[in-house]
Amino acid sequence: MTFTTVTSKVVLAQVAPGREVLARRGAMLAVTGRVTFSPVAGGPGGGAYGGGLAASLARGVQGEAVALMVAEGSGAVHYGFHGHHVTVIELDGSRPLSVEADRLLAHDASLSSSVVFLGQQGGLRGAVRGAVTGQGMFTTQLSGRGSVAVLSHGGTFALPVSGGRQVVVDPQAYVAHEGDLRVDVAAAVSWRDAVGRGSGEAVQLRVSGEGTVHVQASEEKL
Amino acid sequence: MSWRLGTPRVLVVDLDGSAASAVRARTGSMVAYEGEVTFKHAGSGGGGGLRAAFKQRLTGESLPLVEVSGRGSVHFAVDAGNVLLLDLAGQVLKAESESLLCLSEGLRTDVVFSGLQGASSGQGLFTTSVTGHGRVALISMGGPPIALRVAPGTPLVVDPDAYVGALGDVRQSFVTDVSWRNLLGESSGEAFSLRFEGQGTVFIQPEERR
Repeated sequence: MTFTTVTSKVVLAQVAPGREVLARRGAMLAVTGRVTFSPVAGGPGGGAYGGGLAASLARGVQGEAVALMVAEGSGAVHYGFHGHHVTVIELDGSRPLSVEADRLLAHDASLSSSVVFLGQQGGLRGAVRGAVTGQGMFTTQLSGRGSVAVLSHGGTFALPVSGGRQVVVDPQAYVAHEGDLRVDVAAAVSWRDAVGRGSGEAVQLRVSGEGTVHVQASEEKL
Repeated sequence: MSWRLGTPRVLVVDLDGSAASAVRARTGSMVAYEGEVTFKHAGSGGGGGLRAAFKQRLTGESLPLVEVSGRGSVHFAVDAGNVLLLDLAGQVLKAESESLLCLSEGLRTDVVFSGLQGASSGQGLFTTSVTGHGRVALISMGGPPIALRVAPGTPLVVDPDAYVGALGDVRQSFVTDVSWRNLLGESSGEAFSLRFEGQGTVFIQPEERR
């Protein structure tokens, strides 16, 4: 429990030696105690925080990069970003979290992060999904035990997904997912009526497998 | 028919497959669903029939709705606005069409004349009225809505850009007041305000429409 919610839009992170926190640059609001901030090379998973050279190289190429700062020392840091809602997700180590880099506010440095090419997950279809939904071809995956603070427009709600329970999500409202989920793009004729604003392509994300999908209360991107 | 709030900004409707559980929702407001659910365009009249379609075309008070039916649960949300649930038991709800999120089966919508000066406030001269027995979900932008009482002898004046809807037997008129211009501090246009008289409740939102 690194993060405690102060308001729906601000979280407080406890920093201690061995319990560093990585956060998006510019997200620090206030700090108490002896905490130092330094940039992390190469964004998520770069530098000393796992991922390695390959990950940071890949990042440079595909643009799944948001500058991160590491908070070290001992004290407490308030984080918030542009007035967006913040959701804290606890990872117990059993399943990874997939989230867009620009939705990541902060996470425990103990979590290992990697950049995943969507084509690895679902072959060509995965890559197509990224391209179609405007999420890009890459996503950030966090694994291990720890907490993650995720940004959203209007807050999120979690929908459990299991073998017999498929969930369909508006691509614009999709935020993140936990676990081994399959996210497919599907087009539906009648969908045009339900989704998107005006002329947007009528696509939907069909989520299946075992895990949880996090959806925001808005169809606006950050 | 089962409606609940998933979060203060998300409306969840559970559909049991019966025709009575079907709803009409604002186009594009669905953010997620599970189960066997179909979405069908409710027609140019927003399900209100040919006459409603004609009136909407004529008046510009458009109400784009989809008919949602089937078996499963559907999550609706619009631009992170707070959801206000209202039960109608024969009363009349007047609402801005852009504030309407969802209507239960059996409610009728119509376009009504709301006063001459409506055009200047950018809302059109017409407003949408909802009548019948059932549930309505309205959207309040910028935070939870505020309910203000209107009673005989205590009229209420609100900013048209903050107005969401009015429930009960209230009459609506437009007021032009030069001093309001200074108070509102918004837009260089005419400083109009909405005046309500009668008996009922008026809902306003914390964020003004731009």
